[in-house]
Amino acid sequence: MNPLKVDKVYKQYGDKTAVNGISFEVAEGEIYGLLGANGAGKTTTMRMVLGLIYPDGGSIQYNGKPYSTDLLRNLGYLPEERGLYPKVKVSDQVIYLAKLRGMSQRDAVTNLKRWLDRFNVPEYYNKKVEELSKGNQQKIQFIASVIHNPKIVIMDEAFSGLDPVNVELLKSTVKELRDSGSSILFSTHRMEHVEELCRNITILHKSNPVLQGNLKSIKKQFPRERILLGTEGDVQGLETIAGVTKVVRHENGYALFISNESAGRPVLELAMAQTGINKFEVLEPTLNEIFIKTVGDNHE
Amino acid sequence: MNNSFWTVVGFTVANKVKGKAFLITTLIIALVICIGANLPYLIDKFSGESEPTKIGYLDNGSNGGTDADIIAMLQSYLAGQKEPELEIVAIADAGSADANESALKQAIIDEKIEGYMEFAKSDSSSFPAVTFKSEELMDMSTTQSLSAALQSVKMETVLKDSNMTAEQKKLLFEPVEIDSVQISTIEGAGSIGQGKSKSEQAMDMGLVYVILTLLFMAIMITGQLIASEITAEKSSRVMEVLITSVSPLKGMFGKIFGMFLVGLAQIIIFVAVMVGSLLLPHNADMMSELNINLADIDPLLVIYAVIFYLAGYFLYATMFAAVGSIVSRTEDLGQALMPITMLSFAGYYICLFGGIANPNAMFVKVTSYIPFFSPYVMLVRLGLEDPPLWQVWASILILLVTIGIVGWFAAKIYRVGVLMYGKRPSLKELRKAMRAYKV
Repeated sequence: MNPLKVDKVYKQYGDKTAVNGISFEVAEGEIYGLLGANGAGKTTTMRMVLGLIYPDGGSIQYNGKPYSTDLLRNLGYLPEERGLYPKVKVSDQVIYLAKLRGMSQRDAVTNLKRWLDRFNVPEYYNKKVEELSKGNQQKIQFIASVIHNPKIVIMDEAFSGLDPVNVELLKSTVKELRDSGSSILFSTHRMEHVEELCRNITILHKSNPVLQGNLKSIKKQFPRERILLGTEGDVQGLETIAGVTKVVRHENGYALFISNESAGRPVLELAMAQTGINKFEVLEPTLNEIFIKTVGDNHE
Repeated sequence: MNNSFWTVVGFTVANKVKGKAFLITTLIIALVICIGANLPYLIDKFSGESEPTKIGYLDNGSNGGTDADIIAMLQSYLAGQKEPELEIVAIADAGSADANESALKQAIIDEKIEGYMEFAKSDSSSFPAVTFKSEELMDMSTTQSLSAALQSVKMETVLKDSNMTAEQKKLLFEPVEIDSVQISTIEGAGSIGQGKSKSEQAMDMGLVYVILTLLFMAIMITGQLIASEITAEKSSRVMEVLITSVSPLKGMFGKIFGMFLVGLAQIIIFVAVMVGSLLLPHNADMMSELNINLADIDPLLVIYAVIFYLAGYFLYATMFAAVGSIVSRTEDLGQALMPITMLSFAGYYICLFGGIANPNAMFVKVTSYIPFFSPYVMLVRLGLEDPPLWQVWASILILLVTIGIVGWFAAKIYRVGVLMYGKRPSLKELRKAMRAYKV
């Protein structure tokens, strides 16, 4: 039985449907990606999972059981908009939040110190949050959401506003969390993070789940439409090949857009006849492209 | 999971007590109270009570007549007093009217006298009109003492020729004393079946003032703090983490209770400072002079005061919390709190301008049952009249039921309010949100 099971959940605000029948399951040790443009219903879905809002239809089950307040100590939440007490010491507020979720004072202190060490910032223990930079505040927020070793973690835009070094740091931490068996529901606008972290995804568009499933099989559903060609010299006549829709000249070669995967072979043959080849690759569609295709196309 | 309630309480208290702002305000108010309680003593000290005010007159003794007689009698009257407030100083006649005036003025400049009196010319049978001239505007206390002294002299003059005995004169001069005792005609809520003495009444009156003001301050200050803390939590978005960690109900009442403890500690400090200052030995004279005796405090009144303080606090605190939860930005809070502030002010003013002067008035009786006013108004009735027991408990019961309803409703508003950002929602929007959130 999966730790988190969302089944045909439906939510309406007034006459506006916020989430229209979303279903997914998050397994133990899995990061599940929830994607969608702004206002697509991600935050509403997450809030329903957190028990902040009750769904109008469908059900959410946690280890096979419905929501109850006892669940709170097994839930971790990293909200989209960061929220900490600006004028309270890091230790005071993180320990407070940990205690609210049922931790003992001693465990909370030990865990907090361990996490601060993990992020190389043990000196923040006695600092006020307002004294920290935005990126470092985010680390504290992250610690606050996982300090009580939650079984289910909900992360809304986990890495927004971080520099690349800190993104890597938090990403590896999220992976560790996953490997230790937590089920993570994860939303982001950064597709490369999803490709790196998530096994399964749901793309929401205007409250509807439009694309769902295993990331690899989703990618297979989409045709390969791009060829990366690295050459020694110039190649003439690439645009004349049937199936090639667009040719872009790069410093060390070409990027070709094709309408048909069978155009790959004649492209390579033409290039080989004219110059040396350093690289030839028919690219898988990136999640970014898939996302824009799914969500962007039916934008009115 | 009851632990989390106490965790919220502990965090609220710790944060407030650790904050510099709280410590500083508490200290300042305590200092003000301390100074206020000692003010009569300090004024006394600085005004130098032993020094009588010196009043000059023109010594035209050579002319003889009424003036000299009056002066002589005035002197003997003042000499007869234990602590004379006046001293009569003779200024020598300089000959002409102009020279006399400048001589008198010079005496004021030289600080030999503070002012001088002039006697209007009159025929010998009537008492002359007296003008007191001084640089000070409306020197009430001096004119009063002077008037009293002259009154006495006048009586003496008139009675001089009558055949009254010294006893009769003494009796005539003695002021009439009125002693009022508040009695109860029915079995009242107070402890008093046998009536309250004047000192007890004064004590009650003072006590009602003090309790009323403390209650009002406690409700306003703590209430606003609760509201602003909740709004701050909301605007800094800690709220989202909080409500996923602890149920909103526990979060809200934990905060209210935590603030209650802080407010209570503050009040205890203030009362201790006040009582402590009043009990200082140098204030003992003052106290007995003003007829204040702390032992006269009616313990039952204090118990009722505590009950109404608790009820009033929790009634208003839940409303403050609810309003705090629907406001997104601290800047908008003051305006949103206005209706509650007005309600509290209204209750306080009903007492201040109506209830204390006339605790038996119909509107005072009516408002002593209306829950938002009753904590103030019923307290005044308890202190100053003797309402029947059932009325007091009916008022308390209504108050408790209202607290239940308002608390329940406030919790619902809080539950949806904390998740609503942006423009302050209207009642309709709130109702819609409540239905949507199924709370």
